[in-house]
Amino acid sequence: MLYIHQSTCISSQHTFGSIDIEALQPSLDGRLHITEPTPPAIPAGVLRRMGKAVKMSVTCALPLLERPATPEGIIIGTGNGGMEDSIQFLNQIIQYEEGMLTPGNFVQSTANAMAAQISMLTANRCYNTTHVHRGLAFENALLDAVMQASENSASLILLGAVDEISTYNDNIERLAGGYKEGPVTNHELYTLDTPGSIAGEGAVMFLVSGNPAGANTAVPAIRTLHTTDEAEIKIQLIHFLDISLPAGETVDWFLSGENGDNRLLKYYTAAESVLSANTGIARFKHMSGEYPTAVAMACWLACHIIETGEVPIHMRKRPTGQATAGPAKNVLIYNNYKGKQHSFILVSRPGR
Amino acid sequence: MGVVSALGEGPEANRKALAEGVCGIGTLGLFPSRYAGVLPCGEIKTTTDQLKEKLKATESGVTRTMLLALDAFDQAVTDAGLTPSRLSESGTALISATTVGGMCLTDELYKDARNATGGSAYLRSYDCGSVALYLQARYALGGVINTINTACSSSANAIAFGARLIKQGLATRVIAGGVDSLAKFTINGFNALHILSPEKCAPFDKDRQGLNLGEGAAFIVLESESTFTGKGKVYGELRGHGNAGDAFHPSSLSPEGEGPFLAMQKALYSADLTPDQIGFINAHGTATENNDAVESHAMQRLFPSVPPFASTKSNTGHTLGAAGAIEAVYSLLNLVYQEVYPALQFREPIEAAGLVPVLSYTPLTLNHVMSNSFGFGGNCTSLIFSKA
Repeated sequence: MLYIHQSTCISSQHTFGSIDIEALQPSLDGRLHITEPTPPAIPAGVLRRMGKAVKMSVTCALPLLERPATPEGIIIGTGNGGMEDSIQFLNQIIQYEEGMLTPGNFVQSTANAMAAQISMLTANRCYNTTHVHRGLAFENALLDAVMQASENSASLILLGAVDEISTYNDNIERLAGGYKEGPVTNHELYTLDTPGSIAGEGAVMFLVSGNPAGANTAVPAIRTLHTTDEAEIKIQLIHFLDISLPAGETVDWFLSGENGDNRLLKYYTAAESVLSANTGIARFKHMSGEYPTAVAMACWLACHIIETGEVPIHMRKRPTGQATAGPAKNVLIYNNYKGKQHSFILVSRPGR
Repeated sequence: MGVVSALGEGPEANRKALAEGVCGIGTLGLFPSRYAGVLPCGEIKTTTDQLKEKLKATESGVTRTMLLALDAFDQAVTDAGLTPSRLSESGTALISATTVGGMCLTDELYKDARNATGGSAYLRSYDCGSVALYLQARYALGGVINTINTACSSSANAIAFGARLIKQGLATRVIAGGVDSLAKFTINGFNALHILSPEKCAPFDKDRQGLNLGEGAAFIVLESESTFTGKGKVYGELRGHGNAGDAFHPSSLSPEGEGPFLAMQKALYSADLTPDQIGFINAHGTATENNDAVESHAMQRLFPSVPPFASTKSNTGHTLGAAGAIEAVYSLLNLVYQEVYPALQFREPIEAAGLVPVLSYTPLTLNHVMSNSFGFGGNCTSLIFSKA
């Protein structure tokens, strides 16, 4: 079992520092940009060279690393990490016809720049890795952490996910039909019956281990799959709940990765059909926007729901009323990326 | 196992070239670049169109990186006798690695990142995940699918991740490896860092002038002893692995070689071996000023007496995200055939270290071989393979 000790989240919503997710922060220009928090005290020269994704990661990670305990793993998932610098460097190649180029963007363009920068700033020489499997980059990082916690339950792990809205994913995603056409706001994300979603970005970090002491939340199970068949989602979700949910327990909240793309709704409908009528359904993509590691924000929200019992009205699909949510023990997350990469993650309050 | 590199296609062709001391590094001919005649590269001479035809990969949006991966992957699963039904089982995992992904398509990417309309066929092919996603769809792979990018140690980490999946019972078998193709992107990047050699690279030589980029792919099929059905060959055992951050600088290793030292030390610990039990080291040996000096120092810190070592990057060039996997295949060849291959272009040892790599083809009794991979960002990984 992987226990979550602490977490931080930078998103377009008020999720960092003083947390308030009751009121929905609106999108701007059809994108859910992060509100950039003040970066931590690090040398100005180092800070200046950091791209947005690296800056977000470091800002999110450092508060978790202030404790005397040193993590024995730095594991990051990112779908597009480093791509903005890649494009910047590519622009140099084309514009200067392979002439005298400055290497800064190239050095920052590898996806491992975030995990590497965190290790450098904290002089941490432990296990360090970066998972980049597009829409399952965070899930694979999570799986890595689960394995490490099982290999050595005492070891503390920094687990995170980062993706930014960059020239790369914004234009290319738009050309590929990933975003809705025309002006769109996050308020209407689920009501427009059109293809595409809304762009988003964010960084989420968790301090995790195999040790339950002091942990309010845990991840008892995770499953990833690659399929385009919604019937398979249904079969696999039933199986996942069969083996993951302790006898006699139910799913209190289902956090759905529904993203307003009418081509993908069938997968979420299939997953919902598996749930009991008592399970509340909530959505989060109007808060995160769509990006390869958006599911990490769902994990952060699941922890928030378990710790506070709070499920803002704007997140609820059912029940929609004003009734207080009450304590929740099990939150099930189902997400898919482009209808091909799917994951189930169970987040629970540990123990009885 | 499967491999394709500038030395050829398949383990046997690669072994023959290594044993004969063939250098696959030469003039870049695949795409126009102002450095084509200036900076030597370890290029695979098969064009992208020829690869498409040969591999029957005519799907839209297929990149050279996907094709090289497909070539090595197909060799590996054929060699291991994995049937389509085995491949689609939920216990069959694919752990891939790449640093370039589809960014070898410089001009297409440039246009797609800025034009408002008229996207190319490659919109879903640029990122690192595109390669494993292509293989997953093509073979209907049913288990955990992942892509790792820790720069030049990517595929060594893919192999270690695969082994851990098996140990944890999360996979029955894993096809693990990595790929990278030559790209204007990396040639210009490493050139901007002034670490590309105008000559064929000379790992561990006193007057080394930097690295040569190469391209290739390799995959190995890992299976646990307890579930191995006895069908297919066994080349060796992945005995241990170690991963450490150097935590020093984004593009160079610390003078003390903390990351490399810790990665090798952790690998020995995980393999339950002592330094004197390592019979040969396939060094990272990129032939940059920084790497070879630091790696020599780290080896001398850890090994009371440094075992025979060499870097096959003098044959293949530095294949980045594929290097760890290609060199894993070479380490297994060392063990299967009980032989080591000559380092090329070496003349004089680095003064401070005085280390001389293996200089001629030598039959050698080997039980354990270490393979090093160190990447940008300080991502250092060391693998240990043992005789089956």
